[in-house]
Amino acid sequence: MASRIYGWLDSRLNLKPVEKTLLDEPIPGGASWIYVFGSVTLFLFVLQAVTGMFLAVYYAPTPDHAYDSVRFIESEVTFGAFVRGLHHWGASAMVVAIGLHMLQAFLYGAYKPPREAMWMAGVLLFLIVMAFAFTGYLLPWDQTAYWATRIGINMVGTVPLVGEFLMKVMRGGEVLGALTLSRFFAVHVLFLPALIVGLIALHLFILRRVGPAGPWTDERATLGSETFYPRQVYMDAVAIFCAFLLVAAAALAIPLPLTDKADPSDTSFVPVPEWYFLFYYELLKYVHGPLEPLATWILPAAVVLVMFLWPFIDRNPARNPIRRPVALGAGALFLAVVLSLLGLSIKNLYAVPRADPAVARGKALYAEFGCAGCHRIHGEGGAVAPDLSYVGDVRPDRDWHNRHFKDPQSVSPGSFMPKFPLTDQQLNDLTSYMLSLKKAP
Amino acid sequence: MSGERDPSVEGGAGFHTPVGSRRTFFRWVTTGLAGLIGLGLAVPLTGYVISPALKRREPQWVDVGALDELPEGEPKQLDHVTTSRDGYLESRFQKAVWAVKRPDGQVSVFAPMCTHLGCGYHWAGGEKQFKCPCHGSVFDLEGQVVAGPAPRPLDPLPAKVENGRLLVIFKEFKSGIAQRVEL
Repeated sequence: MASRIYGWLDSRLNLKPVEKTLLDEPIPGGASWIYVFGSVTLFLFVLQAVTGMFLAVYYAPTPDHAYDSVRFIESEVTFGAFVRGLHHWGASAMVVAIGLHMLQAFLYGAYKPPREAMWMAGVLLFLIVMAFAFTGYLLPWDQTAYWATRIGINMVGTVPLVGEFLMKVMRGGEVLGALTLSRFFAVHVLFLPALIVGLIALHLFILRRVGPAGPWTDERATLGSETFYPRQVYMDAVAIFCAFLLVAAAALAIPLPLTDKADPSDTSFVPVPEWYFLFYYELLKYVHGPLEPLATWILPAAVVLVMFLWPFIDRNPARNPIRRPVALGAGALFLAVVLSLLGLSIKNLYAVPRADPAVARGKALYAEFGCAGCHRIHGEGGAVAPDLSYVGDVRPDRDWHNRHFKDPQSVSPGSFMPKFPLTDQQLNDLTSYMLSLKKAP
Repeated sequence: MSGERDPSVEGGAGFHTPVGSRRTFFRWVTTGLAGLIGLGLAVPLTGYVISPALKRREPQWVDVGALDELPEGEPKQLDHVTTSRDGYLESRFQKAVWAVKRPDGQVSVFAPMCTHLGCGYHWAGGEKQFKCPCHGSVFDLEGQVVAGPAPRPLDPLPAKVENGRLLVIFKEFKSGIAQRVEL
C-alpha cells in the first residue's frame, strides 16, 4: 500500500532523486557509532518541540496563572507529569548530546577546512540551546525559577555601560514580573524555535554540501565510502532509541516537584541552577569584588568567542589527534576545568545536608500529634497557627523550641498552642525537624 | 572493511552499501525502533490532550435560599453563587434557577434556559405562564410546552430540602433538541 502511494507520488513528483540524495549520502570510511550524536541531538530537539507544544496546551504565561497551570499539568492532567518530565529531562539530555557531538567534532578535527562554517553554525546552535534552557527555566514561576532567573539577569547587569539597559530589556522594565514572564515565554516558544529551525537547516545544508568529515586518517584517497542508509541510519536509530528510553525512564521515575509559588518579597530563598549551569555557578563563588565581571561576562564572552572562531585559531591542518597536541591539550584543559567545577559544585550541594534521622523521627511526630491541624507547611495544613514552612530560618534557636514545646506560653505569651506530653527524645526529634524547615538546605 | 569481499555488500572499494538480508535487517530494526518511539509518545500525548474531555464534574448541591422565602404556587428566580473549577482556575459566578413550591410542599426547580435556543425566560404572573422573549415559547407551571418552537418541556433540576434550605444541583442541557442531553 505504502509503496503504491509512493509510486504514484514518484511518478508525478519525481521523488527518486530526492530519496537518493537523502539516503545515499556517502559516509567516508563507512558508518560508525561515533557519528550518532548529531542525529541524537536532532531527535531530542524534535522531542523538545513536540512535548513543548503539548505543554503549551495547558500552560498560561502570566504570574497569576503560570504556577497553577503547571501544577495542574503535574497533578491533574493524564500523563501530564510524564510529558513535563520528558520536556525537563529532554532538555538535560540535549545538553549532554550536544556536548558529546561537539567533543566528537573537536576530537576528529571536523571543524577544519572546509567545514569551518558548519562548526560555527554548531556553536550558534549551542548558544541558542542555552538560551532555551535559560528562558524555559522561568516558566513554572516557582521560587527556584524566579530566583534563579533573577540572578541570571543580574549577571547581565555587570556588563559595563549597557548592562543596566540590557537588564531592563530582558525584564521588560524595572522588575522581574508579568512582562518578564510573557517575554520569556514568547522567546522560548516562538522566537528561539524559529531561529533554531533556520540554523539547524543551515547546519545540515552545510553538512550535505561539504559532506561528513569521516575518520581522521591522512590517507584519505584510500578511504571507501558507505551509503548513509541503511547502516548509519540504523546506528542512529539505535542511539536515538536509547536516548528516548533514558529520558522516558527519568520522566517516569524521578518526580519534579515545584517549589513554592514565586514570592518576590522572599529574599532569603537560595536557588540552585540547573546542573548544566552549575560549573558556572561554582566559578562565581571564587571571584568577588572588582574581579567579578571577569567571571560574570568577560570569561564567558571570551570562551564563546574562542569557541566560535576556533577553526581560525587552530590553523594546524592535521586532523589526527596525535599530531594536534596543542589543540587537544587546550580542549582537555577546558573540559577538565568545566568538569571539576561541576563536580565541586555537586559535591558542595549534595554532600552537606546529611540526612539526620532525628529529622525523620520529628516529622513522624509532627504527623502523629496532628500539628497540621493548625500549622501549615508548604501549603499543607491549617492556617490558624503560624506557617512553619521556614521556621528553621525564623527561629534557628534549638533551646527556644525545646522550651516552647514544653510550655508554649512561657516563650510565646498568649499562644493558644496546647502543651504536648513529650519525652526528651521526642522533644529533641521534633525540634530537629523544626530546625530543618529552611529555605536553603 | 572497504577492501574485504563480502557477498552482503554491494559496490567496490570506492563506494559500498549493504544489500540483501543485511539491508532488510537494518531497515526492520530502524522501522521498529522508530515505531516504538512513536507509540511511546503517541499514547501519552493523546491521553494528555483528551484528558479534560474524559473528566466529569462531580455534581454539587448548592444552597439557593430558604424554603420560607418561596411563595406557594408562584415561581421565583433564585440567584446563587457557585464555585466552579475551570482547569487550574477556581472561579465563582452567579447562576439562577426557577423554583416553584407546590401546595403539598414539594419544590420543582427548573434550569433557567429555554429549551429552544437557551434564552432566559421569565414568569408572566398574570397569565401564569413561563414565557421566552426570544421566539415566543410558552410553558405552564409544570414546565410543559404550551406554545412556540420549544422542542421539550423545561429542564427540571435535582432539588432537596435540608434544614429549611433549598439545595439544587445545577446542570446545563443541550438546547434545540427533543431529548434531554446534559452538557
